[in-house]
Amino acid sequence: MITKIDQEKCKGCGVCIDICPADIIRFNENKKAYIAYNDDCMTCYLCERNCVHQAIFVHPFKELLPDCF
Amino acid sequence: MTAIENKLVQTDVLIIGGGPAGMWSAKRLKELDENLGIIIVDKGGKWGGQMTISGGDFDAVLPGEDVSDWVKDLIYYYDGLCEQDIVEKLFSLSYDRMVEYQELGCTFLRKKDGSLKGVPQRGLDHVKLYPAQYKGRGGEEMFKNLSSAIYKKGVKRIGRIMITNLLKDGDKIAGAVGFDIRSGEFYIFEAKTVILCCGNSGWKPSYGKNLATGECLKMAFEAGAELRNFEFTKVWNVPKLFSWEGQTTLMPLGARFVNKHGEAFMDKYSPVLGANTDPHYITIAMAKEALAGNAPIYFDISKIKEEDVVLIKPQIGWQLMNHEKLCALGIDFFKDNTEWNPQLNELLAGIVTDINGATCVPGLYAAGRSRSIDPGVYIGGFALSTTSTTGYLAAEAAYAYMQGLSQTPKANHDQIDQYKNGIYFWLDNGGIAPKDVMRKIQQIVFPYDVSILKTEESLSKALTRLENINKDFIGRMGASDPHYLMKVWETAATSFITELYLKASLERKESRAGHYRDDYPNRSENGLYWLHVKKNANGEAKMYKKAVPLDTYKYPITRYYGDNFKF
Repeated sequence: MITKIDQEKCKGCGVCIDICPADIIRFNENKKAYIAYNDDCMTCYLCERNCVHQAIFVHPFKELLPDCF
Repeated sequence: MTAIENKLVQTDVLIIGGGPAGMWSAKRLKELDENLGIIIVDKGGKWGGQMTISGGDFDAVLPGEDVSDWVKDLIYYYDGLCEQDIVEKLFSLSYDRMVEYQELGCTFLRKKDGSLKGVPQRGLDHVKLYPAQYKGRGGEEMFKNLSSAIYKKGVKRIGRIMITNLLKDGDKIAGAVGFDIRSGEFYIFEAKTVILCCGNSGWKPSYGKNLATGECLKMAFEAGAELRNFEFTKVWNVPKLFSWEGQTTLMPLGARFVNKHGEAFMDKYSPVLGANTDPHYITIAMAKEALAGNAPIYFDISKIKEEDVVLIKPQIGWQLMNHEKLCALGIDFFKDNTEWNPQLNELLAGIVTDINGATCVPGLYAAGRSRSIDPGVYIGGFALSTTSTTGYLAAEAAYAYMQGLSQTPKANHDQIDQYKNGIYFWLDNGGIAPKDVMRKIQQIVFPYDVSILKTEESLSKALTRLENINKDFIGRMGASDPHYLMKVWETAATSFITELYLKASLERKESRAGHYRDDYPNRSENGLYWLHVKKNANGEAKMYKKAVPLDTYKYPITRYYGDNFKF
């Protein structure tokens, strides 16, 4: 899941905001990207891969869901 | 609520869902008439849908092969629940679509002699997939090439729109309405025809399938379309902690699941097929192993030959990034046995159509996973293959329909106002967070006795719990902004499909293809049927049996894939 957007490194280009399929990232009042809705991240890495400023970190572990067993 | 302005968009064709099926529909429509107005509307922000993270594997019947051999494989694999004429048509179109993908710039893995490298599927005699050349970038390459081609042709796309209702003029489709999930603006789309390409529905299982819930099926149902196959789901076996793409390639090459004692348990449940089968059967075995005290289950790839590792090792894209991050945490997929669990992934219900994708509602078509072709057992590469072929067919059918229209259908204002009020009712009402309600639904359906080893008792209990959730929570949800308004609609739709999943699972008192009843572990001999659902005069869902027309089909059922297993 997406866990961090470095506010120092973020230049406010908005690429991650446009590309996130689940609408998780938005601009804050400082025109920097932030994790606005951390509900449905699918760990697709699109945001991190497309961030040329290397401001985003996605942890490879997915959301914990109710158990099968 | 009334202060929210209406945004009117008029077009010839409205395609709902911007994944591969939607893009293939748009591509074919532009080939038929380059002047057609085509709009793709999608919840996501960019082109491609879930195609961007797919593996890029593709099923195609190559020249020199016999389509009928592939059809017979599926009749066997589907335990007879196979629309033979439809499957035959789709397979007959598959190679041409694969060629088109290559003409667009996509590349598939080839052997040293230059021929395509096929990977046989699920122990079947003929069906095989063709992997993308580069492990980790196949789907991304496909979506970039396909979206670029239709963008150049003038297909327009509007993203971040949640479609909630289809519009009708009498019995004919007339467009759709929805809202912008960021600005909250109300959108009215007027169209001569609508093609639904929204993928499967499901329960937000984390990996790849968090976007399409049940809204497509719900809106199609409310518009009068016939649905079916609610008892069939895809229960995928997945790593416990992370995501991994490419199991369908790994299994035929020697990967297998082992229990805590190191036993390759599938050999016990199916001496013929072992691990090289559908996850549906593997997850039944996983559940049986867990109940016998043999969990946890591990994925073992030590039997894969060195020369085949190129097929499975991520070389590029998100899969490589995922692999490298896991290695940094001390998890090397290619050295360590990783713990895997069954995970209810998605519902395989869909909209009933004719061979070309026409629903029973004039002007409404369905393509891709919004149609329901496979009854809960899956072959790798089937989704990318059938999204291309069904998208292509739906486009041709929708185009022919438009030629016969004497005037453009138009929805009346009362209908639109009613839908608008229904949308914004949930906004700023101080209601319950939809995530909390979604979690309650997940807690009902994810346990093994509801998702895998189904019984009358467990399903009935689950249905009672769901009815209580519907009574106590669904109508009391609320959204603080348009993003959460989308989540409210998704959760309400998930409740809708869950009820039908439980009822259909109760109704089918046998085990067949992707539906396993622990209290009815054998196939019934009392006729072969699909379970259809349609809205009755009171607006309620009526479920009924539709016989498989074996007397008009070309091929008899001579064997059953399910006979390979003993649970």
